[in-house]
Amino acid sequence: MAKLLRMKKIAYTGLGRNKLRTFLMMIGVVIGITALTLIISAGIGAQDRVMDRVKKFGLESMMVFAGGGREMGQPVSGGPVTTLTLRDAETIKREVRAVDEVAPFNRKGNSEIKYLGKSTTAAVFGITPSWAYVWDWDVRSGDFISEDDMDNLNRVCLIGPTVRKELFGNENPIGQQIRIGNVQFEIKGVMQPKGTSPGGGDMDNRVNIPLTTFMRRVANVDYIFGIKILLNSSGEMQQTAENISAILRERHTIAAGIPDDFRIVTPDEVTQFAEKVAGTFNIFFSLVAGIALIAGGVVVANIMLISVNERRREIGLRKAMGARSKDIKLQFLFEATAVTLAGGIIGIVLGGIGAQILKMITGMPVSISWEGIALGVVSSSLVGIIAGMQPASRAAKLQPVESLRS
Amino acid sequence: MNNTLINAKNLSKIYGKENSAQVVAVNEVSMEIRRGEFVAIMGASGSGKSTLMNILGCLDKPTRGALFLDGSEVSKMDDEQLAKIRNQKIGFVFQSFNLLARTSALENVELPLIYSDKQDITKLAKEALQAVGLSDRLDHHPSELSGGQQQRVAVARALVNDPEIIFADEPTGNLDTRSSLEIIALFAELYKMGRTIVLVTHEPDIAAHTRRIIKIADGKIIADEENRLHGTWQK
Repeated sequence: MAKLLRMKKIAYTGLGRNKLRTFLMMIGVVIGITALTLIISAGIGAQDRVMDRVKKFGLESMMVFAGGGREMGQPVSGGPVTTLTLRDAETIKREVRAVDEVAPFNRKGNSEIKYLGKSTTAAVFGITPSWAYVWDWDVRSGDFISEDDMDNLNRVCLIGPTVRKELFGNENPIGQQIRIGNVQFEIKGVMQPKGTSPGGGDMDNRVNIPLTTFMRRVANVDYIFGIKILLNSSGEMQQTAENISAILRERHTIAAGIPDDFRIVTPDEVTQFAEKVAGTFNIFFSLVAGIALIAGGVVVANIMLISVNERRREIGLRKAMGARSKDIKLQFLFEATAVTLAGGIIGIVLGGIGAQILKMITGMPVSISWEGIALGVVSSSLVGIIAGMQPASRAAKLQPVESLRS
Repeated sequence: MNNTLINAKNLSKIYGKENSAQVVAVNEVSMEIRRGEFVAIMGASGSGKSTLMNILGCLDKPTRGALFLDGSEVSKMDDEQLAKIRNQKIGFVFQSFNLLARTSALENVELPLIYSDKQDITKLAKEALQAVGLSDRLDHHPSELSGGQQQRVAVARALVNDPEIIFADEPTGNLDTRSSLEIIALFAELYKMGRTIVLVTHEPDIAAHTRRIIKIADGKIIADEENRLHGTWQK
């Protein structure tokens, strides 16, 4: 141990003697570890957000979307799928034992919403009274859509906080009349804020109207877009999905061998999809970090080689004073590792600061983790050890007489 | 106790491969150095005196012959054992001082101790610097010291491990006359304190301060005699 402390003393005096060179050796590692720390912070942040979203979506719920064969994340191809109906939702609720409640809905993106002279663009959702319970998403003020609204195709609506801010500012919107397209609606309530969706959309920039009103008066269709299904318990998830699938295939008279015309999405799939997206992102930045670390390692190795060459006299002197080959080897390995480790620590700090800046600018979730710090420390030390190996061996092999003479 | 410190038997150092142009730097040299001697190895440049010193000092290995230091046959030792011998039994002083730049006098003197098992290395280094009269220059870097002072730091570094023998290769070669005299006086003082010193030089003025002069030419000993100016070889 005492010997190790002595070694540390030697190495630091060695490094202190050429500060520019030490800086150059450090820079590649700093870049690599900064990138690595950023990736891990962003990656873990994204993971946290996915878990958060899955929880928001509900661990005991699943979605049925109209249209089959579509992978999550891919755009809907072709025209609207017209096969899923309100009756399907009612049947699922009635016939599947594990289903607690269903919330069928339809939606229309980017509709113009007008109030007096102002206008804004928002998504319009046709929903049912069960929505508040199934999504755990009620009004913050005013009243939710009622069965009465559904039965009478009432022209009432619930606006999201974003729409409220755009059109009303500080004014109380409840009881006011807005126009969706050319149809006039009375505002019944303002929704609770929900933030951004897993896809990045603003879930608060919406106008909710009764599903029946949506189908007859706004879109003039007899089909729905999807159903969110709340289960009694999450244990029977897979079995329940199969039951629902069987019911829908029967109702849609799909023969054996023909693919589904609907798609069931469970929380597992949501998580897997998010992981796939995060994975692509991680591969890209890991590549950047890896290349920077390799380049940094090459720079360290080369500068160490130059340094060994220039310090032949010193090495010869140390050997004459009784340093063994392994002492010399250890010294140069120590120097290389000390530099890369210092670079790594600087990189961790810069990466942490960068992650905070990224969070402030883009709102991307980031989180600094012990795993990230540990990985930074370990990988920067490894770069030093690997890059220092060859120069250190070369230094160790020098013969005292020849190096003293040079 | 055996009074013989170094016993060299038919030492040769040959450069170049067999059947090609070979250079014989040291040619069948046999000699003995006893404890407490103050010896000069003299010769013109290229005579092989430095090569001989390097072999005697375990910095280089002989091509042929046997070398005993303090009773052990060092010519049969591996690199690691030789490093230990250099660390514990030998002190070196070089012509060009070979101090580490941007490193204090104290840290320079500590250098051999770093590779030893000794404790209290700072205390030992301070004592060695005191012995060469530099207790007031502990924190000075080589660039802040005169040539004579730098060489005294080097002597302190050679002494700090309490070696059996000190080898000095042209220790005054880079110094002015006054500093040269200071350094040679320092060696003479160490000799009086019982140190064994081997000094390589081509300057008769310097060799004149020693007690025994070995003359080398073409890798061979051509003379080995008591320095009459100083009477006997030994105290």
